[in-house]
Amino acid sequence: MRDMNGQNEQEVREILRSTVPRARTELRRDLWPEMLRRLDERPRRVAWIDWALVATIAGLLLLFPKAIPVLMYHL
Amino acid sequence: MNTHPYVRAYMGGIVVPTLFLLVMMTGYFVARFILKVPEPIERVIVFPMAIVPNLWGLWNMLYARLRQGRHLPIGLHGAILPLVLAPLGALVTLRFNLLAVGPAPGEVVYFQQIHLPYGLIVLLICAGVAVYYLVWKYFVNFFNEVLGIA
Repeated sequence: MRDMNGQNEQEVREILRSTVPRARTELRRDLWPEMLRRLDERPRRVAWIDWALVATIAGLLLLFPKAIPVLMYHL
Repeated sequence: MNTHPYVRAYMGGIVVPTLFLLVMMTGYFVARFILKVPEPIERVIVFPMAIVPNLWGLWNMLYARLRQGRHLPIGLHGAILPLVLAPLGALVTLRFNLLAVGPAPGEVVYFQQIHLPYGLIVLLICAGVAVYYLVWKYFVNFFNEVLGIA
C-alpha cells in the first residue's frame, strides 16, 4: 500500500513538472543602477544667483522701507 | 493625469497668489483698521483680489500651451508677467486718484502718502521682475510638477 502511494506521488510530481512551467526567479533587468541613481538624486538646490537676487531685493527693501507697500501692492 | 492639462495649469497658477493674497489682506486689515494707517487702499484693493490670481492662472495656461514647442524657462516666462500687471495696476491706481505725479519734480505719490522718486520706481520694477522670476521658478514650477504639467 505504501509502495503504491509512493508511486502515485511520484507520478503526480512528474505530471506537475511536465505541465506547470518553471517559475522565473531571475530578475529581468538589473535594478542596482536605478537604485544608485535614486541614491544620487539630491533635493533641488537653489542656485547661487537666485540667492543673490533674494539678497538684493531684501537689501533694497531695507534701504527704502517706504517702498514696501507699493511693491506689495503691485505684486 | 493626461486629461484637462489647461485646467490643471490654471489651478497650478493660482495657488501662490491666492495664498499670498490672504497674507496681504490680513496685513492690510491690521494696518488699516487696528493700527489706523491713513491710506485708503480699500478703494483699489479689488484689483489685486480679482485680477492677479486669474492672470497667474491664465499665464500658466499659456505656459502649458507654449511648452509643447520651443519655450522660455518657466522663471523667465513668469518674469514677463509683472510687465503686464504693473501698468494695469498703475492705471487703476491713477483712476482712483491714489497715484499722482509731483508735487516735487521727479517723483510720484502713492496713496496720497508715499513719495517715491523715479529712480526708486525703476528699482522697484526690477525688484518686482526678480520676485516673479523666483516665485515662478521655484513655487509655480513645484505646483506644476505636482499636477503633472512640468
